[in-house]
Amino acid sequence: MAPPRAESSGRVSDPINIRALPPGTRITLAGGAEAEIVSNPADGVWLFARYLSSPQDPALIGQEEMIFAADVVEVGR
Amino acid sequence: MTERTIGYRPGLVDLASGQISREIFVNEEIYAEEQERIFARAWLFIGHESQIPNPGDYFVSRMGEESVLLCRDRAGEVHVFLNSCRHRGMKVCRYDEGNTTVFTCPYHGWSYGTDGRLIGVPFFREAYHSTLDRAQWGLVEVAQIARHKGSVWATWDPAAPPFREYLGDFSHYLDQTLDSWEGGDGGTEILGGVQKWLVPCNWKFPAENFSGDSYHNISHRSVDLVGVGPSGSGRRDMPELQLARKLHIAIPDRGHQTTAYLLPSAVPVPPGYRQSSIVSDYFRHCEEVRRRQRGEWGRLITLVGEVFPSMAYLSRQPRTIAVWHPKGAHQTEVWRWYLVDKAAPAEVKSFLRDYYLRYSGPAGMTEQDDMENWNYAHAASRGTIARRFPYSYEQGLGTEVENYEWEGFRLPGSVVDLTKATSSEHNLRNLYRRWAQFMEADSWAELAGWRHPAPRAAAE
Repeated sequence: MAPPRAESSGRVSDPINIRALPPGTRITLAGGAEAEIVSNPADGVWLFARYLSSPQDPALIGQEEMIFAADVVEVGR
Repeated sequence: MTERTIGYRPGLVDLASGQISREIFVNEEIYAEEQERIFARAWLFIGHESQIPNPGDYFVSRMGEESVLLCRDRAGEVHVFLNSCRHRGMKVCRYDEGNTTVFTCPYHGWSYGTDGRLIGVPFFREAYHSTLDRAQWGLVEVAQIARHKGSVWATWDPAAPPFREYLGDFSHYLDQTLDSWEGGDGGTEILGGVQKWLVPCNWKFPAENFSGDSYHNISHRSVDLVGVGPSGSGRRDMPELQLARKLHIAIPDRGHQTTAYLLPSAVPVPPGYRQSSIVSDYFRHCEEVRRRQRGEWGRLITLVGEVFPSMAYLSRQPRTIAVWHPKGAHQTEVWRWYLVDKAAPAEVKSFLRDYYLRYSGPAGMTEQDDMENWNYAHAASRGTIARRFPYSYEQGLGTEVENYEWEGFRLPGSVVDLTKATSSEHNLRNLYRRWAQFMEADSWAELAGWRHPAPRAAAE
């Protein structure tokens, strides 16, 4: 079964319940960046994640940021 | 026609005659003025450090009508914030207590760290073009915070004096509730959660009651007859108090007051808590240590007391803290905390929990009596005719003394000896004296009168 996908540039699919994502989960963000969840406050709005790749801004790689739920477009790839 | 009053005016509290207008309890304009002049300026009790022992712990409290967050940030610092998002005002926390890494507003998603900084803004790059100055939009933090023997206090007013100065000599009396019964510095913790309930009365009814209204004891006669006390009779164990001086003690320039008992120099510790030998032994031991370590102060036992404006305590049997949160002129939200010695054995804590709940709280027998009095007194004072007639506070007018001394021990404050008089309204007048000062004074320069003693007083 394909991993769930969410709102992305130019297309809409099922929203992702980010509350259920544990630390260590890899996520893909709008814009194509990939990140790994560091911690999840379980508020359904934010994740703390570390960038693994960032085609649009390579300076983000290795940095930890808060990721907004609507920016998460794919899980576990 | 009687004179029409809209809001507060001098004369509603007439301490020379011992008369106070009912308007100060039922007038909605006066209530609105209180929020600005009292609750936005005074030091207010927020909670107890034992409620937030770990980084990320929080407890949602109140200051006046406003919701605030008491929390310990990730670095261990304690903060008090207005529980309201800076973007559109939504509560950023809607739980009672817990542990978190962030407070996220559910409306648009702005998110704050436990240190209050704005750390998450949805579409910060896209919608705000990375230009929003997040440093300017953190949670609103109180102007001053103070931690005193485990209790946490805060004020919105940067001009308010430091908390210890605000307390003045009253710390001698308040500390009996916050220290362990042995006298250990701040050696208490909160037992269980906080009880919260609504009473249909103005917040000053309970505030005056806990300032030291022992005149109403008759309304607790049924509880005395039932015998909810920890030795199976009455409400409390008070045998040593038959030998003590019963006192009303007020700190006039601060507005704090308490009822206390001063024991003779050498009185053996009588048995108490006789429904449990473990509890009885524990308190006999603690009382012996307390008297030995505290010296003359070990002769003093406080009962009820009130820190102006809205924090009350009962220092033992039961040992509790209450806050009278205003919720409109005609309603009060009561919050009650229960304290025990941190180091007490589990059996003692369990016994005390049962006793405390028999006595206090919405289901406590004594508190139910009080609530019935307050809510019917308030309702019967709201009418057009009723509010024309003031209440009487004349009991014991002019009987107070400064530098009260008995058997070689001098107490700070303005004192009325109730041992023979049984009752007075000295403490109640002290509460309303301070209340009127807050309603009339425009600055802390006026309210902190102790900083500018009159020439005669200075000479003395």
